[in-house]
Amino acid sequence: MIKSMLKLGIVLALFASGACGALAIVYSITGPVIKTQEERALNAALKDIFPTADSFKDITRELTSSDPKIEILNAYEMKEGDKLLGVAVKATGPSYSTNAILLTGINTDGTIKQVRVLQLSDTPGLGANAANPAYYVDKARKITFTGQFIGKKTTDPFIVKDDVQTLTAATITSRSLSEIVKVSGEAASQYLSRKGGAQ
Amino acid sequence: MNQRTSVFLQGLVIENPLAIIMIGLCSALAVTTSVANGIGMSLAMTFVLVTSEVIISLFRKLIPESVRIPIFIIIIAAFTTMVDLVMKAYFPDLSKAMGVFIPLIVVNCIIMGRVEAFASKQSVSNAFLDALGMGLGYTWVLISMSVVRELLGNGTILGIQIMPEAYQPILFFVLPPGGFLVFALFISFNLFMKKKWTKSPSGISDPEGGN
Repeated sequence: MIKSMLKLGIVLALFASGACGALAIVYSITGPVIKTQEERALNAALKDIFPTADSFKDITRELTSSDPKIEILNAYEMKEGDKLLGVAVKATGPSYSTNAILLTGINTDGTIKQVRVLQLSDTPGLGANAANPAYYVDKARKITFTGQFIGKKTTDPFIVKDDVQTLTAATITSRSLSEIVKVSGEAASQYLSRKGGAQ
Repeated sequence: MNQRTSVFLQGLVIENPLAIIMIGLCSALAVTTSVANGIGMSLAMTFVLVTSEVIISLFRKLIPESVRIPIFIIIIAAFTTMVDLVMKAYFPDLSKAMGVFIPLIVVNCIIMGRVEAFASKQSVSNAFLDALGMGLGYTWVLISMSVVRELLGNGTILGIQIMPEAYQPILFFVLPPGGFLVFALFISFNLFMKKKWTKSPSGISDPEGGN
C-alpha cells in the first residue's frame, strides 16, 4: 500500500518537475522580452501624453487616492531637461464590466493635459467607445470622450451630464472613467502644490 | 476512407467539439466578439490541444491510472502557460485582448475531454490527428462565429470597415445574447452538414446513428 502510494507520488513528482523544467526554459527566453515590451508600452504611453518630455521619475509612493475604489498604480514626474512639465498618473477603478485603467497627464498649472484609456473591457459599441478615437461625444466640435478633459481644471466637479459629456447609453462607464480622471487629477495637483511649496 | 483520415475528419464536423459535443463553450462565446480574438484563441487552443494530446499519448503507458487526472492537468497547464508567455512577449496586444481566456484554456473541457477519452488510449499518430481535427473543428466554428458577430455587430472585419458607412451596427450581435443566437445557428448548420456527410456513400459511419 505505502509502496504503491510512494510510487504514484514519485511518478507525479517526475511529471511535475519535467513540466517545471520546460516552463523554466520558456520563461527564461520570454521573460526579458516581456519586460522590454512592458517598458516600451509605458514609454510610448508617457511620450504620447508629454511628447516633449525626455525623462521621468517614479513618484508612485507620493500620491494618494482620495477614493477607496480607485487605486493609483503608477505615477511619474515628467521633465524636459530641468523643467517640470507635469505628472502622469496611471490609475485603475471599477467600470461597467471590470476595472478600467486610465493614464492621465496633469500640467503644473493644475489642468489636465491628456487622458488615455489603457484598458477597458466595457460593452463594445457603447462603453468601449470611450477608447475609440473616432467616436465623438461632441459631434459638432469633434471632441472625443477623453478629449473633453483636455484643459479641464482638476478642481472641477467632474459630474457626468453636468460638466462631463456622457457616452451614449453608457452612463456607468462615463461616470467611472470621469471619477478615475478626477481622483488622478486631485492626487497629482496635491503633489504638484506640495512640491511647489517646498521649492 | 481509411481509419486515419476518419479520425482527423471526426473533429471537423461529425464530432465537432463546439457544435456537436458542445464543450468549452464559455470561452468560445466570450471571445468571438472580434475576428482577431477568434483567430488568436483558436490558434492557442489548437496548439495546446495538439501538444498535450501528443505528449500524453506518448507517455500513456507511464501514466498510472489512479493519478492520471493530475498528470493531465500538469501537462496541459504547462503548455498553456507557455502559450501565455509567448503571446505576452511577442503579441502583447492580442494577449491583452484575450485577457483571462488564455490561462483558462487549462480548464477548457475540450482538452481535458479529448485527453481523457482519446489520447490516453490511442497511438501518438492517432492522438495527433484527433487533436488537429478537433482543433480545426474548434477553429472554423470560432472564426466563422466571430466574423458574423463582428460584421453585424460592428460593421468591420479585423477592424477594417466592411459595411457601408450608413450601416448602423446591430450591437445585439456583439453582446452575449447575440453570441448565443449565432452559436445556435452554427449548431444547426453543422447538424445539416453532418447529415449530408453521413448520408453520402463515401461517408463516415456515424457512431450515434445519425440525428
